[in-house]
Amino acid sequence: MTSLAEGPALDLDLFSDAALTDPFPLYKQIRDTAPAVYLPRYGAWAMGRYADVRGALGDWESFSSARGIGLNDLANAATQGMIIATDPPEHDKLRNVLAARLSPKAIRDLRADIERRADELVAPLVERGSFDAVTDLARAFPISIVLDLIGLPQDGRDKVLGWADAAFSASGPPGPRTDAAFPLLQDQLAYLSGIEPDQLTPGSMGRAIYDAAADGLIKPESCVPLMSAYVTAGLDTTINAISNSVWYFAQHPDQWDMVRQDPSLIPAAFNEVLRIEAPVQFFCRVATRDVELDGQTLAEGSRVMMLYASANHDERKWEDPERFDVRRNPVDHLTFGYGMHGCAGQGLARLEGHSILGALARRVARFEVGAPQRRLNQLIRGLDALPTTVHAG
Amino acid sequence: MRIIVDEARCEGYGFCAEAAPHLLELDDEGELTVLAEQVPEDERANAEAAVRVCPVAALKLAP
Repeated sequence: MTSLAEGPALDLDLFSDAALTDPFPLYKQIRDTAPAVYLPRYGAWAMGRYADVRGALGDWESFSSARGIGLNDLANAATQGMIIATDPPEHDKLRNVLAARLSPKAIRDLRADIERRADELVAPLVERGSFDAVTDLARAFPISIVLDLIGLPQDGRDKVLGWADAAFSASGPPGPRTDAAFPLLQDQLAYLSGIEPDQLTPGSMGRAIYDAAADGLIKPESCVPLMSAYVTAGLDTTINAISNSVWYFAQHPDQWDMVRQDPSLIPAAFNEVLRIEAPVQFFCRVATRDVELDGQTLAEGSRVMMLYASANHDERKWEDPERFDVRRNPVDHLTFGYGMHGCAGQGLARLEGHSILGALARRVARFEVGAPQRRLNQLIRGLDALPTTVHAG
Repeated sequence: MRIIVDEARCEGYGFCAEAAPHLLELDDEGELTVLAEQVPEDERANAEAAVRVCPVAALKLAP
């Protein structure tokens, strides 16, 4: 039998403060070494090239999610049965419950309301002139929208964001960051377990989960994990995409001018922000068989980090990948993953992002930002603060 | 070459219809309709683009 660790290896630490602050040089090293590189510190492989990552994400039979998507056993056990950590047929039943409420068709009727909320949030901030693009804009928006859509009671909402942040970070490698995050993931699950279905707004996405269990479409024990999927996946991700948008357009005023002159570029511009700064840096898969990768064999049982953020910067796929270009329209970036586990909420995320960019484009001529403060999380890349001044026009 | 839609996976993002408007269309209900199952030679590149941009891998091409 092939050793699990046979093949090119790099002794990289992807989770130091320095690496979490700027992981891109390490990703390039991984991409330039081999299709898959063994990282002995984590007992896992890293896949960093676009074609390989996309290929693996599209092949769930060879690259399973059911043994967990994280880098430590505790988190992989705690997330067992969550949609992100399932394969068909279980996966498909859970996905149908989410898709019934989150697919583009299902959220069409939300557009007017979300655009109105974006205008109501952005107008007074622009009037003020100076604000924090993370706390005042990027966090305020998805929190109000997503928690209303899930139908959560007001009580406890203030803790939800911290739990969501921790729920991601808890899937890092064993160590102090994971130890700090894991209890918060448990708190989130305890909070969600304590919510009675009738406390959720009638007609909400949360209530629909319990209705699906009552109708026998999913098992009752799947309700809390699905609630956790909504609460975790719908916040930090969109929050970072929105604050990154402000950050990038402050640095690239010429690109902002293009968007303002032609607002039909907004979807392409949002795609480019997502490509260049993927909020979710990676999830893992486990090889269910020996897999051939461009002359290299990845042994059955190998845990493989799918480096979405690296794939989005792969020189083999993107021309001049470090250039921020709103005309690129990289519709096939991997920020939402790809394939069966492709982000179920990406329609809503896009709707939120496009609405905020539209509301800003109608009012803001220029962004000026101070030094961004980064929030270090083992899976999510984003900002904690971004002092922003806008010039109306 | 034929376009095959896995209807159980399709969630109606519509990026494929933007990439290949002569082959695929989102109707007023948000459901995907295949306008031309057999891909004409001059639509081949668009068909491949449509497959490439599907976020959930619900489309494929078969000989």
